[in-house]
Amino acid sequence: MKSGNLWLVNAVMFISALLAGTVTAAPNDKITVLNPRGIMPAIQQIPMAERPGSLDGKTIYIVDTKFANTKLFVNAVRDNLAAAYPKTTWIGIDKIGGYMQDDPALWAEIKAKGHGAIVLLGH
Amino acid sequence: MGVPTVSMVTMAFDELATSTAFKKGMPGLRVTMTPHPITGRTTEESNAYLQGNDPVSGKPMLEQIVAGLRDKLAAQDKHAGVIERGERPRFLPPDTEDNLQQMFHDHLWTDGLPIIMPTEERVQAMLKGTSHAPDEIVGEMRPSGPHEAWKFTVEMVATNAVMAGAKPEYLPVLLAIAATGQTSLFSSTSSFARMAVVNGPIRDEIQMNSSIGALGPFNQANAAIGRAWTLISKNLGGSGLPGSTYLGSTGNPLNYGNMTFPEAEENLPEGWEPLHVQKGFKKDESVVSIFSGWSFNTIAWFSPLPLQDVIKNWLTHFFSFGVGSATIIVDPIVAVELKNNGFATKQQFADYLIEKSANPGWLYWSTHQDEYKKAKEGVEPFATYLKLGETAEIPVTRYVRMPPRGAPAGTPPRNPIEVLAVGGGTNLYWSGGDFSHVVSTSIDKWR
Repeated sequence: MKSGNLWLVNAVMFISALLAGTVTAAPNDKITVLNPRGIMPAIQQIPMAERPGSLDGKTIYIVDTKFANTKLFVNAVRDNLAAAYPKTTWIGIDKIGGYMQDDPALWAEIKAKGHGAIVLLGH
Repeated sequence: MGVPTVSMVTMAFDELATSTAFKKGMPGLRVTMTPHPITGRTTEESNAYLQGNDPVSGKPMLEQIVAGLRDKLAAQDKHAGVIERGERPRFLPPDTEDNLQQMFHDHLWTDGLPIIMPTEERVQAMLKGTSHAPDEIVGEMRPSGPHEAWKFTVEMVATNAVMAGAKPEYLPVLLAIAATGQTSLFSSTSSFARMAVVNGPIRDEIQMNSSIGALGPFNQANAAIGRAWTLISKNLGGSGLPGSTYLGSTGNPLNYGNMTFPEAEENLPEGWEPLHVQKGFKKDESVVSIFSGWSFNTIAWFSPLPLQDVIKNWLTHFFSFGVGSATIIVDPIVAVELKNNGFATKQQFADYLIEKSANPGWLYWSTHQDEYKKAKEGVEPFATYLKLGETAEIPVTRYVRMPPRGAPAGTPPRNPIEVLAVGGGTNLYWSGGDFSHVVSTSIDKWR
């Protein structure tokens, strides 16, 4: 085939490919793509509650979020802390519902009657 | 809570506890890790855990707990400002396609399979599938209740639709799914699955398959919509980071395609309404319904008993994580047989299953421990149930009409058993699983 004809054939093939939308990037060509990720919210920092410096004479609630079959461990937390730190009162208590359910009444009770809380989570 | 607090968390959730404390605005939260699991530990084993060290920090566990409640805070623990998450660029830095493929995999932005690169041209073409503006906020989604919610726009949904291999005409279905805020990758150690059922005219418009192999890999729309939901859940809903925003211990293979299929409305027997009509939509509306569950069985069992009793008895003995809800998917020819057996509507059949199914004793007593104590004390009717034998069927259904767990007061009770029809009629097959209906929503408003 003459070189002029070859050029014409190549040009027709290239244009056909363009029209068909089949031209893709060569393996080393760089392409730009959209970010697939969503919009994360800003985080509002919450100041932590001041610590008292001593737990002597204080009351600490041990909150059981009631993961299945963990009661013996939760009770052991209370008993071991009571044995090691007898000047502090350790109260075990169940929160309502599962771990995803809020319990404002319990949080209010702890704030009114207690000086701190331990919240247990996990299987 | 406003008082000094220490979290005790089993060490399997180290990453979850740390990242959640940060996202909730308390990065300095005092956390003590315990060995994992604590489930089923005896008192002696628990004592040994507690008298040992935090397995992450290496410090004595009890001393660390007390120090977290007692010792004065550092200055950064008292901050009350806002932590911004940084500018979200619309485009990623240019790179070769191979490098970008690998980067998407490395960041866990895929389902582990190759994706279509979301170039601007492809995303623009995808956006032709909706009349909504690219920058319109579609909604927000989170991995589960306690997690933070991410927001996303129409363009972001379109980007993930391209990645999944969807066509522009599928986009309204995906926007409707995304707008529900329901992740397909609900974060729980129990490895949830989700299901999307499409009803109405759009099923045919986008050529979904409700016939032979509808639940299998035989149709582009069924497959791409299901796959896109998982990518949307990961990339727009913040789900899917193992150990942090995904905790399913074994994972669930249903999450790849999320059981996405259209109901075979045309082949329902007369009087059996399609799902979207059951949920209050008009027949000519296009609707997608989300279901949540864990597992499915496929069954064809030939018995001297009528079909409804085979299904009822299977429901009695079916056991999976979700013990209080079920969805039965019947082939349309099964639906016809049930109609001929006297069930004039789907709901009549569902009601029969709800009322007539029982409980195997081992399951009933393990989920009714107070009743077990009463039975031992001679309280009726539990004492009579126990006399049947500890493994005998107890004539009490576990499919109870009640509001979904955690729903606000006043939420109406949900239907504990749903019935759907799909399949090509090659045999009298039906499937059953522990899925429950979550929500149905209009697709048409996203056209």
